[in-house]
Amino acid sequence: MENTTFKLTKNLKMAGIAMVVIGLLALVYGWIAGLEAERIYANLHLNSFYFVSLGLIGLFFVAVHAIAESGWQVSMQRVGEAMSLFIPVGGIIMLIVFLSGGMSHLFEWTHEDHLDHILIKKVPYLNQPFFYVRFFVFFAGWVLLAWLIRKTSRQLDMNGDIQYFHRLRKYSAFYVVFLAITSVVSSWDWLMSIDAHWFSTLYGWYVFSSMLVTGFSMIVIFVFVLQRMGYMKHVNDEHIHDMGKYMFGLSIFWAYLWFSQYMLIWYANIPEETIYFYERLKYFDTVFYFNLIVNFAIPFLLLMPRNAKRVYWVIIPVAVLIFIGHWVDLYQLIMPGAVGHEAAGIGFLEIGTTIGFLGLFMLATFWRLSKVPLVPKNHPFYEESLHYHTNY
Amino acid sequence: MNKDYITAYYNDEDELLKAVRQLKEKGLEILDVLTPFPVHGLDKVLGMRRSRLTRVAFWGGAVGAAVGFFFQAWVFTEGYPLNFGGKPFFAVPSFMPVTFELAVLFAAFSMVFAFLIYFKLGPGAKTVIHDERITDDRFLVVVGIRKEGNQQEIEQALKETGAEGIKHNA
Amino acid sequence: MYVSPIREPLIRGEKNYSQVTKDILAPMAGKPSIYWYLGISLALIALVFGAWATYQTVYYGIGTWGLNKTVGWGWGITNFVWWVGIGHAGTFISAILLLFRQKWRTSINRSAEAMTLIAIACAGFFPLIHMGRLLLGFFIFPYPNTRALWVNFNSPLLWDVFAISTYFAVSLIFWYVGLIPDLGTVRDKAKTKIRKAIYSFLSFGWTGSAKHWSRHETVSLILAGLAAPLVLSVHTIVSFDFATSVIPGWHTTIFPPYFVSGAVFSGFAMVLTLLIVARKALNLEEYITVTHIESMNKVIILTGSIVGIAYITEFFMAWYSGVEYEQYAFMNRAFGPYAWAYWIMMTCNVVTPQLFWFKKIRTSLVATFIISIFVNIGMWFERFVIVVTSLHRDFLPSSWTMYSPSLVEVGLYVGTIGLFFTLFLLFIRVFPVIAIAEVKSVLKSSGDHKKTAHHE
Repeated sequence: MENTTFKLTKNLKMAGIAMVVIGLLALVYGWIAGLEAERIYANLHLNSFYFVSLGLIGLFFVAVHAIAESGWQVSMQRVGEAMSLFIPVGGIIMLIVFLSGGMSHLFEWTHEDHLDHILIKKVPYLNQPFFYVRFFVFFAGWVLLAWLIRKTSRQLDMNGDIQYFHRLRKYSAFYVVFLAITSVVSSWDWLMSIDAHWFSTLYGWYVFSSMLVTGFSMIVIFVFVLQRMGYMKHVNDEHIHDMGKYMFGLSIFWAYLWFSQYMLIWYANIPEETIYFYERLKYFDTVFYFNLIVNFAIPFLLLMPRNAKRVYWVIIPVAVLIFIGHWVDLYQLIMPGAVGHEAAGIGFLEIGTTIGFLGLFMLATFWRLSKVPLVPKNHPFYEESLHYHTNY
Repeated sequence: MNKDYITAYYNDEDELLKAVRQLKEKGLEILDVLTPFPVHGLDKVLGMRRSRLTRVAFWGGAVGAAVGFFFQAWVFTEGYPLNFGGKPFFAVPSFMPVTFELAVLFAAFSMVFAFLIYFKLGPGAKTVIHDERITDDRFLVVVGIRKEGNQQEIEQALKETGAEGIKHNA
Repeated sequence: MYVSPIREPLIRGEKNYSQVTKDILAPMAGKPSIYWYLGISLALIALVFGAWATYQTVYYGIGTWGLNKTVGWGWGITNFVWWVGIGHAGTFISAILLLFRQKWRTSINRSAEAMTLIAIACAGFFPLIHMGRLLLGFFIFPYPNTRALWVNFNSPLLWDVFAISTYFAVSLIFWYVGLIPDLGTVRDKAKTKIRKAIYSFLSFGWTGSAKHWSRHETVSLILAGLAAPLVLSVHTIVSFDFATSVIPGWHTTIFPPYFVSGAVFSGFAMVLTLLIVARKALNLEEYITVTHIESMNKVIILTGSIVGIAYITEFFMAWYSGVEYEQYAFMNRAFGPYAWAYWIMMTCNVVTPQLFWFKKIRTSLVATFIISIFVNIGMWFERFVIVVTSLHRDFLPSSWTMYSPSLVEVGLYVGTIGLFFTLFLLFIRVFPVIAIAEVKSVLKSSGDHKKTAHHE
């Protein structure tokens, strides 16, 4: 009989706290070394956005499969649920960054006295009160729905009544619809408005696809770590294979959206649009190509063979690369606008803060995992998930 | 098949799977199994390798992509360089759609033709139809007879597994 | 394989394998019904109208159309995009749903794929005739010629040539590879000698050998893996026709995924329209059940909502961009002289499909049929809105004008609808409309008697 209750051991706690300490040290270092305030704020902004998104995608994983009546993922859905616990944590950090003066460092449009004739036109949307209203609406909805989904899933587990399953599906549908809208609008607010003059209709979906592939990779990493610690033995090769297919397919999907956006702007060659890629290609060329190679070429080639999707020693390195790659993707979305090519860079500050956030994210997820059984035994599709095997 | 063999059928795929497993254990030579639809697990019981068609598709796709990309590059830089809307002659983003389409086209066709040619299937192909009901609801096994003649043993084994309609080809 | 007891069965009526064969082959046997004759007569009349319109266009030229200097793309391109979009459902069902292991696809993939092929044929007709000289259509392919000229690989219109041809070719072999085993069944059940000869020719000598089956499955799977990005690429490239330009209302980066989503949306609507009638007419209600219809309706909500979000995003970005031309193009769409088309599009594509959130509506055949017609209309208007309203008021107010189609253009459209139904009606007489082998392979796990069946 396998161990179904995860114990948050002292070592694990200490490791998480140590990572957070590294993050704090990195910030202190940034402050002492006299790095630009923009760089520190943008860095915090990047990481809080990144890890909040991972939490959102963890929940999306649970929700989207619930409404699709899919069965195989039930074996690992606790991980997705647990990841959603970071959403409010990241939200608070984000709020602190904004309120402590980050707004004016990150967003050009907050300088209300110096707006040019284009930005003045955008004031009805890009103004601070409305910005905060949207911020609170997003987080209120996410946190509420995450709580409801986690709670219902737990109730379903305790007594297996089918009505909880239907309720879970209802909340999931709400969440998916809510996320479909808010993920797009929040990416405009928090990322696209950094380059306040620039606009692209595809932007929201591009960011979403980027976060989607990272979130799913993160689930695989968590499952791997849990298995290493002796839990989650019911997750077998078939489940990992499916996650591998997701990582493969979503990497291609991300590249497809990247190409669609880039090619259309390159082709039409309208100066107000091309300036965006011009800057990135000129000053951030390493990051620009790194993004394409790590997020598309490597997963595409490595995950193409069937067997590669079934073994941890391929899946996990690729998942880690995707995690790094999409961090860099966010970096090239944020830094050119918020920090500029003279001040931006990747050093101890950036790496240390990311480790800090990762530690916090791990602590939140593991803490949640220790509160509930790892195996959703009473889920109506649990048996299906265990017995399932496929030829492809 | 220019060999002597015995055919027999089953009415259900689970019965068939069990029977094939038993026949194999007895060391009988199973020449073929004919079914109305793909029976899962049968390829494992019969000891089939994983298909190499995926490799055909991969290389077909790689060739298609190369042909597509380099042909366009050649046309625009060597064959007949023309300025279109101020685009560079070597316009990589512009080449992507055709490159992609040709990759898919080559991959799909090379694989399907490899499949048909390997199994000698095609319009007017001459194949032996053992029983017309195998495309309906019968699951047929074809057991090869050894040179020394083990008909009795085969028939016995088939009967034990619940086979019906045992027939010799000769 | 274990299937949770709370799942609905996909095939009703406690079938066994030979009953499945019999039921699905039934529409091919015997004399066609009076409704079939009625249908094909109507389709042929439409086709004759189309033939007349084609003759007019080829003989007199594009001048017989309602196009003018400002609106250079009218119904022709609208219809092209509409038909290509309809063609997307078949591949989506057979490729993407196969990859997602959706068993309900087995009952509908065959007819949806056939529909795809016919729809692409209808679509391909429009760019060809739009060039005016039908016989010089081969100019669009890069072949060595005495003028030493090549085609323009920088042009999205040329990418279309490659995309549509590849799509047609790959869909055709995908469909045919899937058909081979079923054609074997038709051959083995054939009663007359001629019929037997024809179907043994068509079935490529299929024997049902386990080895063949195993490789056949691999081929189908890889083809699905290839067709899935292909289906995305096709409407993406169609959207490039518009989006690579600098025309306000056309140049927007969201076009590729939004066109793909719209294509699947309209394709499913067309599949629903056809299958709701076909399942009744061909007595296949036990195979294409309300569960299937409901699943398709869910795809409609999903893709319809994506399209809705895209409409709103575009509108918002037009304002947010601060570009007055962009803003005008959208204001003109919603409140200009073609506002009626815009609001038909909005109602049919964004509002009515949302009714499917109610289980009562998405499990009602009548409601589904009506809404599917709405979607077909709405998606036609979407393309009309994109093509015509973006063009008719260009950068020079003196050349602003209106556009309305001539009888010839209407004839071409009606003609392709005639072609579509003629070929579809022939299809249901010649080929099995449901993938027999695939249905058999899910019968045990998803049939009505799955709870009682056990054999080991």
